[in-house]
Amino acid sequence: MATHDNTEHVSDAPDEAVGWESKLQYFLNSDFVRSAPYWGIPFVLMSIAVYGGIGYNFAISFTDYEGLGTPDYSALDLEMYAQALSSDAFIAAAQNNLVLLVGFTTICLVLGLFLAILLDHGIRFSEKFQTVYLLPMSLSFVVTAQLWLWMFNVESGILNLVVTTLGFNPVDWLGNPSIALGAVIFALIWQFSGYTMVVYLAGLQSIPDDQFEAARVDGASITRTYLRIIVPQLKEASVSAAVVLMVFALKAFTFLYALVGRYRPPNGTDILATLMVRRAFKFGEWAYSAAIATMLLVMALGVIGPYLYYQYKQGSL
Amino acid sequence: MAEHGCSDESVNRRKYLKALSVGAAAGLAGCTGGGGSDTETTEGGSDSGGSGGDTETGGDSSGSTWDSQLEVLHGWAGGDGEAAVTALIEAFEEEHPEMDTNFQAVGASANVNLNATILRRLANNNPMSSFANWPGKNLERYSGALMDLEADVWDAEGFKDTMQARAVELCKFNDKMPAVPLGSHRMNNLFYNTAVFEEAGIDASSLDSVDALLDALETIDQNTDVTPMAQAMVAPWTNLQLWAQILTSQSGVDAYMNFIEGNPDRAAVVEALEALKTINENYITADASSISFTTAGQKVISGKAATIHQGNWVYGMFRADDSFNYKEQWDWIPFPGTEGIYFYHLDSIVAPSNNPSREETIAWQKFVGTKKAQIAFNNPKGSVPLRTDIDPSELTDFLAMTYEDLTDSEAYPPTIAHGLAVTPKTMGACKTAFGDNFMGPFKVEATADALIEAVSE
Repeated sequence: MATHDNTEHVSDAPDEAVGWESKLQYFLNSDFVRSAPYWGIPFVLMSIAVYGGIGYNFAISFTDYEGLGTPDYSALDLEMYAQALSSDAFIAAAQNNLVLLVGFTTICLVLGLFLAILLDHGIRFSEKFQTVYLLPMSLSFVVTAQLWLWMFNVESGILNLVVTTLGFNPVDWLGNPSIALGAVIFALIWQFSGYTMVVYLAGLQSIPDDQFEAARVDGASITRTYLRIIVPQLKEASVSAAVVLMVFALKAFTFLYALVGRYRPPNGTDILATLMVRRAFKFGEWAYSAAIATMLLVMALGVIGPYLYYQYKQGSL
Repeated sequence: MAEHGCSDESVNRRKYLKALSVGAAAGLAGCTGGGGSDTETTEGGSDSGGSGGDTETGGDSSGSTWDSQLEVLHGWAGGDGEAAVTALIEAFEEEHPEMDTNFQAVGASANVNLNATILRRLANNNPMSSFANWPGKNLERYSGALMDLEADVWDAEGFKDTMQARAVELCKFNDKMPAVPLGSHRMNNLFYNTAVFEEAGIDASSLDSVDALLDALETIDQNTDVTPMAQAMVAPWTNLQLWAQILTSQSGVDAYMNFIEGNPDRAAVVEALEALKTINENYITADASSISFTTAGQKVISGKAATIHQGNWVYGMFRADDSFNYKEQWDWIPFPGTEGIYFYHLDSIVAPSNNPSREETIAWQKFVGTKKAQIAFNNPKGSVPLRTDIDPSELTDFLAMTYEDLTDSEAYPPTIAHGLAVTPKTMGACKTAFGDNFMGPFKVEATADALIEAVSE
């Protein structure tokens, strides 16, 4: 059987006669304990900061906690969830979130792919273009929001300068509720399509030139080459870019907040994150906001979950 | 068999120890990680200079009775508000040079960040010494966490006799007096660019009703290239505020008071909304929906817009421009149809209970109510003192006039958009009514329904 100094198999020590001191000795010498300072501290910090926060949020969402004071955990129910699901403001915010999620992600991917393919053709100054497209991504939301606020201005904004020069009436980009969300998505696409472009470009450049040549020899047109041969190989890149974009879409709060400097974004662009922060920090409805936060988390998991599963199936996890 | 039993036992022990060590580490992390306060500290006090009484580096207690730091949160982070609070802080530090103070400006836009920070800190049981906020029904937000200053400040200094009775009433909350008033803004104003009014041929003194105002706006629209009115709609409160003026002008103070007390007259509500719709659809600048009131005020200064309705904080803004002077480039009338009425707004300094610096807070709150403090703060701020014994000659011309109106008007309806008239929840619902339905397209019926529902709850 196991020897006594084999610290890896403490549990296998068969001898009833071994005293508790020796057992403790074995235990303290085990890899598990000795490695604890290295994995334990991050593990604990992570648990408290992230999962502790989620758990606390979850607990509060079942109470009726409001205003100042302490939450009362004696009467837990789903009332806040019911209240949220039956509220028009919540439904509208959830819809906007969904539109933002789908619209922003799809257009970003398509546009990024298009740009990547153009750059991959080795056009002149392609590196410079690459930098130009990627640059907005490096800017903070606060900067881009202010920039777009100026550009969207009805009277002096550059967008309306273009629109009126083309002979149309000026558009109230942020003031008109039916356009505002589109305007916000547009600004976000401007910021993030460069990112998708870079992801796709990396994917494209890893595809050997032989495939293009082989396709040409076989007489396939350029469109056909891309649609049938190249794009299908970019699945990995698409999935990872899409996940990052969707997560950004879910937390577009920063952009909206920076746009107007308050918790109420322009009409028609209220998303779950802004609604949640407004209910919590403006009105002190902690429980209600926690319920919204939980549902937002579920949505985010709904996005991430399939990706993780996909990665798992691929053996990358 | 015995082996298995032994193995199980030692696994259990291992689990137990693991749990124990994780628990200990968790406790440790919890202790070290939790204490940080994360407000943005903009030192309002220490670098104000000039007075010679710089804030202490602590520890210096030669003859001083103060042993805690006075921490005051306010939202005046820029422009006239910053100038006003700096003047106030300088005056206070002259008075109490030995006190350790920490004045923090939290964010700017309409107290959003300030209120959120206060709420969060009070909810986390981490109160500050004092904070700037509106008194009245607004204090509902902090219900149960307010300090009573009645004996230590109000009675000790005799403020009940020297402050306006109205302000005294608004500083009472649930049988306590947690606030000391600092200044009052008048809400029912119409500021106008004199050159534009002249060009359009409008006599401002003839504007005595909303209809007269609408006619005047139409005349400006026809006769000049200037946009008749500047309106800021990036946030809904400006619409709520203007609507309240129109309602009062058309249907009288009683209609307004009935509304805020929860007995709204739908016909009057709708009539006022119709007038506001006419204004918003025809006479305001096209970019109204994306600008704030400071930008709107600039439009009047630059002559791009003829008039603006706002609280008289825009006076603080106008005055900052040397080439834009009262009675010369701009002038003022009460909002048409509200002569003799002073729409009441109040800024105050509020103290939370469980106060971290009781004595310092009391000294500070006493100071806020002094003549010196009220004059120092209100002159740059564009608001007027609440004390009844101020010599108007200590105030600028425009403020002296407002101060006289403050002490001598027929009615003083409390402002709805600035916390005095209704609870924060109702105010939020009223703002949402405008935010959801009245930012263009302007849905009168839907807004009226939402407003009535908001106050009737």
